[in-house]
Amino acid sequence: MPDTSTGVVVIGGGSTGAGVLRDLTLRGIEAVLVEKGDLASGTTGRSHGLLHSGGRYCVNDEQAAIECVEEGRILRRIARSTVEDTGGYFVSVTEEDHEWEPRFVEGCRRTGITCERLSLDEARRREPALSRQVRTVFWVPEDGHLDPFYLVVGNVESARRRGARVMTHTEVIGFLRDGDRLTGVRIKDSKTNEEASIACQSVINATGAWSGLVARLLGVEVKVVPVKGTMVVLSRRLAHAAINRCHKPGDGDIVVPGLSVSILGTTSAKVAHPETLPIEWDEVRRMIEEGAMMLDGVTTARAMRAYAGVRPLYDLGAEAEGREMSRNFAVIDHQVRDGITGFTSIVGGKVTTYRLMAERVVDVAARHLGVRTPCTTAEVPLNDREEPLDQLRHRPSLLGVPKPHGDEPPLQPLLCECELVRPQDVAPWLKDPAVRDLEDVRRRTRSGMGPCQAAICSYRLAARLVSDRGLDGASATRAMADFLETRWRGVRHVFWGSQLRNMQVTTGLHMELYNVDRELMLQHSPPPLAGEGQGGGRGAEPAEVGAQR
Amino acid sequence: MKTDVAVIGTGLSALAAARTVQQAGRQVVLVWPGLSSLYFLFATIDVIGYPTATATESVADPAEAVARLITREPSHPYARAGMDAVHAGTRLMLEWFKEAGLAWQGALNRNFLLPTATGTPKPCCLAPASMTAGDLSRPEPIVFCGFTGYQDFAPELAASNLKRQWGAADVSAIRVTAPGYGPDRLFTSVDLARSFEDATFRDAVAAQLREHVSGDGARVGVPGVLGLTRPGETFAAFQEAVGHPVFEIPTVPPSVIALRLFDRLRKHLQEAGIEIIWAAPAHAAQVTDERCRSVLLKAAGHEFPVEAASYVVALEDWVDGAFRAGVHTVRDPFFHEPITWNKVPTDRTAESLFSTQPFEQVGYALTDRLQPADENGKPLARNVFCAGGAMAGYDPSGTKSRGGMAIATGYRAAREALAA
Repeated sequence: MPDTSTGVVVIGGGSTGAGVLRDLTLRGIEAVLVEKGDLASGTTGRSHGLLHSGGRYCVNDEQAAIECVEEGRILRRIARSTVEDTGGYFVSVTEEDHEWEPRFVEGCRRTGITCERLSLDEARRREPALSRQVRTVFWVPEDGHLDPFYLVVGNVESARRRGARVMTHTEVIGFLRDGDRLTGVRIKDSKTNEEASIACQSVINATGAWSGLVARLLGVEVKVVPVKGTMVVLSRRLAHAAINRCHKPGDGDIVVPGLSVSILGTTSAKVAHPETLPIEWDEVRRMIEEGAMMLDGVTTARAMRAYAGVRPLYDLGAEAEGREMSRNFAVIDHQVRDGITGFTSIVGGKVTTYRLMAERVVDVAARHLGVRTPCTTAEVPLNDREEPLDQLRHRPSLLGVPKPHGDEPPLQPLLCECELVRPQDVAPWLKDPAVRDLEDVRRRTRSGMGPCQAAICSYRLAARLVSDRGLDGASATRAMADFLETRWRGVRHVFWGSQLRNMQVTTGLHMELYNVDRELMLQHSPPPLAGEGQGGGRGAEPAEVGAQR
Repeated sequence: MKTDVAVIGTGLSALAAARTVQQAGRQVVLVWPGLSSLYFLFATIDVIGYPTATATESVADPAEAVARLITREPSHPYARAGMDAVHAGTRLMLEWFKEAGLAWQGALNRNFLLPTATGTPKPCCLAPASMTAGDLSRPEPIVFCGFTGYQDFAPELAASNLKRQWGAADVSAIRVTAPGYGPDRLFTSVDLARSFEDATFRDAVAAQLREHVSGDGARVGVPGVLGLTRPGETFAAFQEAVGHPVFEIPTVPPSVIALRLFDRLRKHLQEAGIEIIWAAPAHAAQVTDERCRSVLLKAAGHEFPVEAASYVVALEDWVDGAFRAGVHTVRDPFFHEPITWNKVPTDRTAESLFSTQPFEQVGYALTDRLQPADENGKPLARNVFCAGGAMAGYDPSGTKSRGGMAIATGYRAAREALAA
């Protein structure tokens, strides 16, 4: 890995870092993004995907709510195809919820959130799965679903078209300094352990829950509290719209319809380290029980997997903990605060407000660099085209029809039948040096995210690693096994019903039809999870690492 | 309706049990819950591939290895079936295959070592004749051949893995075009298999192969799609056209090799006048005076009983729905007994996917006569016998022993049912 140089190094490949990278390039600043894992592999890709109308924060966190309103509207303009306009409901179930209603209505009014009370009959007509326990329903049209993977990739690809570079699976292990001035970063490839330097004029720390750890490498403190949230994925959409409990934000009070699934979320627990995210059975149970209070069918739907993410709550020094803490964000200018020139951190916040966070932190960094070009990320669409609608690929519309009729195109071959991913959707990513394992392919294409959890498509992907990317069979088989293990880590937490039956097919296929367990043993390396993690990709991570979405 | 033995299940153990009853000259009714586990889990009949779930040295003599296993683990399904059932069941099935026109090869005292679609050598005892030219104890070079646009067999991946394990110079990969198929068309293994029954199509593929594969006794490994309804004929014609030994490699469901086996055996039973009740999940056993009087089936919106003198429950534990896993409790659909209870669902699994899984071990506790038993070892019904995946401790994935266990336990349960 050669030493390089650039204008700004952005650390962190979540929504914030991706937004920062794009913002920088739109202002004509040369930049490199360095991410320890893959894009959207930390907090962003493990979010529940709710595009917040702001309703959830309008009572206790007014500023966050106002930002959600504004940013939601911007995202619908600039990142059209990452957003599904589902709308949302806030529903009261208990007496306590009922008492919260006037505060919610007042909060919506104060923060400018559109909110309409529906009769129960009307609400049930629109959303037949609403539980019998629901007593009051508010319609909040600006709730939506935000595809977090698509959002990050869209930002990064836009920046790349303007010359930005992206280094995934690359960790910042130190900083280069000239007295109080930052002059670069030391990086290490997490797969090959190769090290190198990137010389730069400025570094933006956009690592969310990891920002304290990154800042510590420089000897400065950023007080960020990692707060774990666990989510459960059901294999189908139970409701058309996002369903929120109308109460003080708590555990398991959101059901988000995301593409073909429903996501139940979430819990809230402080953790010691952003990568120690064990999923507890009690959390999974609570998600399902709480979800069932709002929607029928939650307990009988097929649970596909559970996963955990980590919120990067910024400690403003208040006594508040976890959910009580603000979902606001803050820009830390370390030149002002710590006397270190060329280092800026952005902490707190949420995926919905990623663009605004990026704008604010780039404002500060650009000022120090003497760049006066204003931010244009609120106007330039993510695909950089003039069309009002984002023309990033929208998968299902391209798939043709099930059976050829007349001149209609025939059904195209699929690589992942569950998620309707075609071979040509995967092919370009296999050429991208930022894509290093099959989980990376999954995040960009959704392969392996459906009910069978990669039982079938993992082989097809491994095959392409050999034919398209020139990997040897051992590495490709290893990548396939790692991919399946990552899926397995999430499935294990919802191991009953149809998903359990499915997994007998998975083990039957891979152990009996392919004999993959022996393939791994015969490679003279221990099976994934048992090893020390040398070059084994995500599968070699310690087991406590939370399951991926 | 009243019959001698009702066999409940669609997999290999159910078929072995039904054949056993038929051969004894008694009346048998087959009750099938739905799709056969054969579609998902079988292509070859693996008796025992490795002595333990973690051993890397494969078994050379399956009969001897099973005998050893029986001594070592007296509660293992093989021990419950007994060595006699292993021999008699295998003989019964091989004779049946022959009578039904299925060309299979193999014997209990040796394993083939056949390459899988990942290019991994896999030990297996009995296999369709169309697969055995792939045996790695033979020295001839191997050319893996895939089809452009066909995703379920990747010759490059298979060749790369097998090269490393089996001698670098002798393995190569090619891809040919299957006329009418290509990267723009959605097709499955079954579509290809039907096309291979057409001589023009077959010859067009064979012509390309002849061009790519040069002499020196090379053999050609292709995905298992060489014909569906007349496999023997199709295979022979293709092999002759290619001019080299050809072997098939099984692929993901829908696995054509498994479909052929299942469809042929099913038709053969039906031709012999055996009644099959199809797509009817059994959901309750009516037990009085320690005997099962009938099993209730649900089909097409109504419920009806099947009455038999005795019953063989020959189901895979999960894929064909023998057990229903709730969040904490696993129940069986006949007696509605809790089979197992887990405080936390994760406890049903091992940390790694590729290791011995607790959920695979789940099954009925059994009496010595293979009757499902309660916790005190007392039979739930004296005339019900269990075979296949529904037995406790039945976990063939690590040792590669699914087919052998299915046949031995199916045979033994049927013998017990006949004696009841």
